[in-house]
Amino acid sequence: MTRAPHPAAPRPYRYTLAERLYLPLLAGMMVTLKHFVQNLLGRRKSYTIDYPEGRRRYSHRYRGHHILTQRPDGSLRCVACFLCATACPAECIHIEAAEHPDVNIEKYPVVYDIDMLRCVFCGYCVDACPEEAIIMSNNHDMAYFSREQSIVTKEELTRPYTYDPSRLGYRPEYPEEQARKLAAGVVDLVGEARSHPAQSSAS
Amino acid sequence: MIGESWMTTTFGKLEEWAQKNSFWPLPFGTACCAIEFMSTVSSHYDVARFGYEVVRFSPRQSDVMIVAGTITDKMAPVMKRIYDQMPDPKWVISMGACACSGGFYRAYHVMQGIDEVIPVDVYVPGCPPSPEGLIYGILQLKEKIRRDRQKRRKGANADRAAADGSIAAA
Amino acid sequence: MPTVPPPTAPLPLLDRLPAGSVVPEEGCDQETWIVHREVLADLALALRDDAENRFDLLLDLCGVDYPERDERFEAVYHLCSLPLDRRLRLKVPVPEDDPVLPSLIGVWKAANWFEREAWDMFGIRFEGHPNLRRLLTHEAFEGHPLRKDYDPARRWILPQEKVYKPLPVPEGETDEDIFERMTINIGPSHPAMHGTFRVVATLDGERIVASEVEIGYLHRCFEKMSETHTWQQVIPYTDRLNYCSSFINNVAYCRAVEGLLGIEAPPRAVWARTILSEFSRIMDHCVCNGSTLVDAGALTNFWYLFQPREEIYGLLEACSGARLTVSYCRIGGLAADLPPDFVARSRVLLDSIPEFIDDVDRLVLKNRIWLDRSVGVAAISGEEAVNWGWTGPCLRASGVASDVRRDHPYDLYDTVDFEVPVLHGGDVFDRFRVRMAEIRQSLSIIRQLLDRGMPEGPYIVSDPHVALPPKDAAYNQMEAMIYHFKLIMDGIQVPPGEIYSMVEGANGELGFYVISDGSGKPYRIKVRPPCFPIFSTFSRLINGGTVSDAVVSLGGLNVIAGELER
Repeated sequence: MTRAPHPAAPRPYRYTLAERLYLPLLAGMMVTLKHFVQNLLGRRKSYTIDYPEGRRRYSHRYRGHHILTQRPDGSLRCVACFLCATACPAECIHIEAAEHPDVNIEKYPVVYDIDMLRCVFCGYCVDACPEEAIIMSNNHDMAYFSREQSIVTKEELTRPYTYDPSRLGYRPEYPEEQARKLAAGVVDLVGEARSHPAQSSAS
Repeated sequence: MIGESWMTTTFGKLEEWAQKNSFWPLPFGTACCAIEFMSTVSSHYDVARFGYEVVRFSPRQSDVMIVAGTITDKMAPVMKRIYDQMPDPKWVISMGACACSGGFYRAYHVMQGIDEVIPVDVYVPGCPPSPEGLIYGILQLKEKIRRDRQKRRKGANADRAAADGSIAAA
Repeated sequence: MPTVPPPTAPLPLLDRLPAGSVVPEEGCDQETWIVHREVLADLALALRDDAENRFDLLLDLCGVDYPERDERFEAVYHLCSLPLDRRLRLKVPVPEDDPVLPSLIGVWKAANWFEREAWDMFGIRFEGHPNLRRLLTHEAFEGHPLRKDYDPARRWILPQEKVYKPLPVPEGETDEDIFERMTINIGPSHPAMHGTFRVVATLDGERIVASEVEIGYLHRCFEKMSETHTWQQVIPYTDRLNYCSSFINNVAYCRAVEGLLGIEAPPRAVWARTILSEFSRIMDHCVCNGSTLVDAGALTNFWYLFQPREEIYGLLEACSGARLTVSYCRIGGLAADLPPDFVARSRVLLDSIPEFIDDVDRLVLKNRIWLDRSVGVAAISGEEAVNWGWTGPCLRASGVASDVRRDHPYDLYDTVDFEVPVLHGGDVFDRFRVRMAEIRQSLSIIRQLLDRGMPEGPYIVSDPHVALPPKDAAYNQMEAMIYHFKLIMDGIQVPPGEIYSMVEGANGELGFYVISDGSGKPYRIKVRPPCFPIFSTFSRLINGGTVSDAVVSLGGLNVIAGELER
């Protein structure tokens, strides 16, 4: 396939008479005037989210603060296999393992620290965990006053840092679970998407 | 702070109210976090609701330096210079994993946290932190200013009470 | 007499070169020649000028370090012939004790910064280069970081005194004239510098007579980091290259590794990748045009153009969990299945985005104020742009119709109808218009794909040596658990080989040159950033214009520091 030769000199745009006379500026001003009037009279829904009083809906896969899950008896599901620490590209997970008295469980973490200031919230730890011991919440709002404060320990990770415990974030979802949610009519996904695309990101 | 009377404390409260409700941020944006900062000042999240929309790119005219993005060793003298040029009182918010600690770039050209050269007041983690996270960090800074001011006032009065044995209420 | 002729057209130019100096390499993904460095300069000139070859575009030049070999370094040139649609790779071995190569800056001006980078990273010297200084690392840096014996974490501090303070002089002038002019520093902390670029300009009044561009303020060592992490762990790093359209970088990298592995993502994943790449392209063009207009003073358009971004973020967050740095692709497919409302949500976006684009068009496209600011500013002809290594919308605005989606179709681009907008002004205005037209074309592509329907099936290959097994299998079956464990601990074992794989990024041809040595970590990844050669032209574009023109032209080029400096 041969192409036309490359142009040797640029050919700039030529103005039309209307453009030369600044006439299209009026059309532009009508656009902003229309927006202004619509906002003033309240005809258009405002896109602004009133954080912190209001929040938008986050998706079920939102990658927020980590949560260490627990078994029904209250102990951590984590068996200190180090898969999350190996999968983490930022090497921000620090684990120290100890032997668990129950032979079926074998190990548990004595120390499980995540350096929140190194974490890039990629979700690889959740993907790597074979026990669903670490998941992520829907809250990403954190701020620390010092580097020491940002190293989050096992105890703090167990308490879910979330603004709504019934809707968590990034965690393994089997295809059956999603289908079950749809079938149970838990969320009207299509209706939400149509109502206000900017406000809802539910899934 | 010596000789505090109702007038100076009231002026102090007025000054604090004015300072914390209208930061003029200096967005020292280098990388991806700068795009989330742009989202924060855009209409969807609108940091103007808090009074912080006057972004000034000149250090002489700003109070808060929001370092958004990775700071490399080549950029470090520039950042230090900009920080030095800011007049007091000044605060620094370190936004994003790279500015706070180098993030996942444990590399030969990346500074492992801007607190190697400048003091940081609030660390906002995330990669990039969502605009809610950044606004949360800014509100924490607001809270910190209020607490620091109270601590300074209480501290001064406590010294005076200890010195002359009288009880002074702030 | 020359060796075996290459498989395509016969090249009599090889007859003019000494025997054995150019040896075709077998078994590569594209035509590759191994060239002796003595004939490199002549070969390059012949490749560019000969009627049968016409390799007018130097895509990439990088170095590779093979410490066990006698000739330790290798300079790899990727060439493209736009008229004849051919690609060629040249490999030039360079010994360690005498790492000198002739500079090809006289043949392709694009070689300028690429050679500086090879010097910086590897220590390969290019004779004849006018300004062979470090490009990406700072002035006080010692050593050549991408060599295999360089410790990735070894840093050097740049003290204030050693900061480079150039004094650009217009060509043909002596220093005596300098006192009538002023040299100012624009950046790197400057609102119009879009992050971290520094331009030192010598001004005569308000006109720039000479300038020098300094980059490297965001060099985050992506290529070194990719050598110390597994194939899967590199994906979050690729997100942060062109952070305005991060999904496209994920796709480009995953396609390169899939090419090395010889696998293909399933149809559902390919469909989703195409749609989300087009959405990311829309996002990137919105940011670029918005920032250009802000730099010219038109702030309202910035707010209007950011709203489509927010809405696309909603879709990306529903798919992957993050707004900006998505990491949604995996090698072999996608990280997770598409959410159930993907199609509904995309259709809603298709209806809401055009409104914002139409508003901005009405505000700006015929507005004489914007026309005066942008028509004729930073104009470059197609021929010169190609010699400087340009690709993408900036090249299409100069009249050259080259688009990877059209010339080397990948994913589903050969099954949809779309136009490649081409204009002839080569200035800021035409780059702006090309991007606006591309946004509309992307919307049309997405509509066609949605109308076709979502393919059923898996979202990732089911090869357990490449993709993590599905979670219910990993929790319950021993074999799946073992594969899961091995994949996380050792990484994907990619067979040895090399590949250059390209996609059409929002700025142009985003190429990944990936070399694997058979282990779980990449041996070398070189990113061919589309804005790297474009920004190397910046000095030539702004000389002769005013400072305000320089500001507007930087916006129009869409230089993203993450990609420029990796």
